[in-house]
Amino acid sequence: MNRLKHEYVRLFIILVFILNQNISASQFPPLTPLGKVPEPPDNKTTAEKIALGKLLFFDGRLGGDGSTSCASCHVPEMGWDWPGKLSLGYPGTIHWRNAQTIINAAYYDKLFWAGASKSLEEQAKSAAKGAVAGNGEDDLMEARLALIPEYRQQFKTVFGDEWPKINNAWNAIAAFERTLVQTDTPLDRFLNGDNGALTIEQIAGKKLFEGKAGCIQCHNGALASDQAYYNIGVPPSREWQTNPLAQITMRYELYAKGMDEQQYRHTKADPGAYFRTKHPSMKGKFRTPSLRYTLYTAPYMHNGELANLTEVIDFYDAGGFTSEGRTTAYPATKSKLIKPLGLNNNEKKQLLAFLQAFSGKKITIERPSLPAYKPLFSKNELKDVKK
Amino acid sequence: MNEVAKVIFDLLWYKTKRHALDHAKTRMSLIMNFIIVRVRKQTIVVFIGCLISRLVPLKVYISSMIVLFVCFVNSGFSSAEVLTKSASKAKAVVQHNDNVTNALIELGKRLFFDKRLSGDSNIACSDCHQPQYGFTHSTALSPGYPGNKHFRNAPSLINTALKTRWLHDGRIATNLNDVVREMLTEDYIMNMDMRLMQERLKQDLNYLALFAKAGLGEPSNSGVRKAIPAFLTVLKSAKNNHDLNKLTKQAKQGKKLFYGKAGCSQCHSGHLFTDELPHNTGVPENLSVFLDPLRHQTFIAFNMFMGVSDYMSLKRDMGAHILTHKADGSDIGKFITPSLKELIYTAPYMHNGIFKTLDEVVSFYNKGGGKDRYLDKKIKPLGLTKVEQKALVAFLKSLSSPVDIAKKYIDQEQQYSYYLIEKWQQKTN
Repeated sequence: MNRLKHEYVRLFIILVFILNQNISASQFPPLTPLGKVPEPPDNKTTAEKIALGKLLFFDGRLGGDGSTSCASCHVPEMGWDWPGKLSLGYPGTIHWRNAQTIINAAYYDKLFWAGASKSLEEQAKSAAKGAVAGNGEDDLMEARLALIPEYRQQFKTVFGDEWPKINNAWNAIAAFERTLVQTDTPLDRFLNGDNGALTIEQIAGKKLFEGKAGCIQCHNGALASDQAYYNIGVPPSREWQTNPLAQITMRYELYAKGMDEQQYRHTKADPGAYFRTKHPSMKGKFRTPSLRYTLYTAPYMHNGELANLTEVIDFYDAGGFTSEGRTTAYPATKSKLIKPLGLNNNEKKQLLAFLQAFSGKKITIERPSLPAYKPLFSKNELKDVKK
Repeated sequence: MNEVAKVIFDLLWYKTKRHALDHAKTRMSLIMNFIIVRVRKQTIVVFIGCLISRLVPLKVYISSMIVLFVCFVNSGFSSAEVLTKSASKAKAVVQHNDNVTNALIELGKRLFFDKRLSGDSNIACSDCHQPQYGFTHSTALSPGYPGNKHFRNAPSLINTALKTRWLHDGRIATNLNDVVREMLTEDYIMNMDMRLMQERLKQDLNYLALFAKAGLGEPSNSGVRKAIPAFLTVLKSAKNNHDLNKLTKQAKQGKKLFYGKAGCSQCHSGHLFTDELPHNTGVPENLSVFLDPLRHQTFIAFNMFMGVSDYMSLKRDMGAHILTHKADGSDIGKFITPSLKELIYTAPYMHNGIFKTLDEVVSFYNKGGGKDRYLDKKIKPLGLTKVEQKALVAFLKSLSSPVDIAKKYIDQEQQYSYYLIEKWQQKTN
């Protein structure tokens, strides 16, 4: 009787183990080729819209003092992001998070590190208006567009309005961004059946990615991001120890995003997705970024604390600690998925090699020459005004 | 005694800081007053006692009277104040408040010249309201925020604290706190997110000290909106030749015209020579508002924001219409009568700086103003001779402070820098 009981327990344990294996194998969407760019029904992409969006992307007049365009922080030559740890920011400020690449941004359902925007259109608008980003205001930006004849004409062609509408500027920029995609990486070719597209080392890295290293738990699907929020242990930005402007911005964000007095006084690390829900379980969590095009977008993480992909792999291998032993300021919410991986040097090399397969050739663009302002009225038209 | 020690300490500690010295001086004078009052009171008691008991010889009696008299003269107190204890206490309270007020003014002055109060840290209040031009800008139209330009003339800030209504269209008629808020936050003026401004100020040790001294606690945006108006209250006219009754013969003739034939006093009335009401005098448009896209964009954005219809086709400044939105348009082109004080420092003139000199202004009114269907009925040709016009200008010039009161603010050398909060993780924000 006792023996039978033992057998049952053993059987049960084995069953659970098998089931678990099955679950973990099917739990995460596999890496797949990147499909067609999603397109919202209320902002159809057209060639004219893309052309207009391209101009606007590079135009600092969509901002406060005419100095800061989308391309100021998303520099095409630099991986369509900013090469510093924290993004450039509006003159007189420094931004507080790392600028993300625009490449493949069109595939995200939520934009920004804490998922603050739900569409590219909304993201462009928020970035152009934030005090430490573009610092623009709707009325002035719209008036500026109206005084640039080429824009007037193009907005009319694309959107049918007599005068440019600022919200359509975000629509055009979003349409342009939907062209900034990379779908022909070694990984895509491999997934499409070209077995020679990855090296043996990379294939070994893929196995680690999907197995021992556990990357697939979050970096899955076509985008290599589950778009969920995690606290993986990234330590607070070191800029806050060394840069007064960074200290200003950090406090400003806490204040502007509606923290209570207690939290405003004592918060010393980016609360991330907590700002969205104000639920303590969200502290220090950030949306999983895509691994596509990362080859060109160093440094890494929401605050650029990790300088290169080797550091990133070491960080995960150490269970979410940097080489100096630093980790998140919110240990309570640190993801249970993050634990020491026990990768050896060879495995790390394989993983690194595989990460490179997520990026194709560097994408650059010829910067457009921007149309100029022109007076709306002639001298005679003005002189003839009867008062 | 404690107080004296404090003053000495202050003097040693803040040897190089001028405002601290001023502070110490004020405190010292407070102590002197206190001593004088004490001494005098005792003298009075002794003096009356002696008088009653007739113990003192006449010589001593007279000399004590002289001492008493000197004390009175020195302190400038009335005898009533000396004799009532409560009065001297009240004076001490006032002195204390004066210190807070002085600190508030000092803070406001520093803020006024600080470029970090604008969105991109490129312009300060003092960039458009320059002391050397009577706290105005020397150009017809104000520069405005980088990336665009303004579409009106920057008004003088001298005596602005005495006004009850601000801006050429009169859109703010509450208080200077509100005016400062508008100037700081409007995208075409300083484009400042005040939440960011507040955090910037918290990163400057000078402001931490100044805000605390002014009784405002830690730097805050509400503190800024108290301190800058406090500084503005200091910018007041000095007594001019008109006040002092020192008008030249020509100016006297001008004064007569001003109140008579020229009819200026119909609108330029009261102690600031303004009725603070909107009038349409037909001032010609400054066409660069519409010919310079950097100005026109500001003009368009402003009218769009103010809810004026058809703002893209406007070819004239709507003035007070943005406020009253009258259906018949009778409020179009009305602007608040400006003060006539300090005119010699504030050229060019009118809401759009269209006239370079006062001669031009007088000649404009002499012709009966400009052409406008809504022209104020008070405006009509005056028939002034050349001599009369000159006299009128002479009178207008006599309404300015004889010495440029803004001079002491020219070349304000202030050091502005952020400091790094060391061991940031351990400090409270």
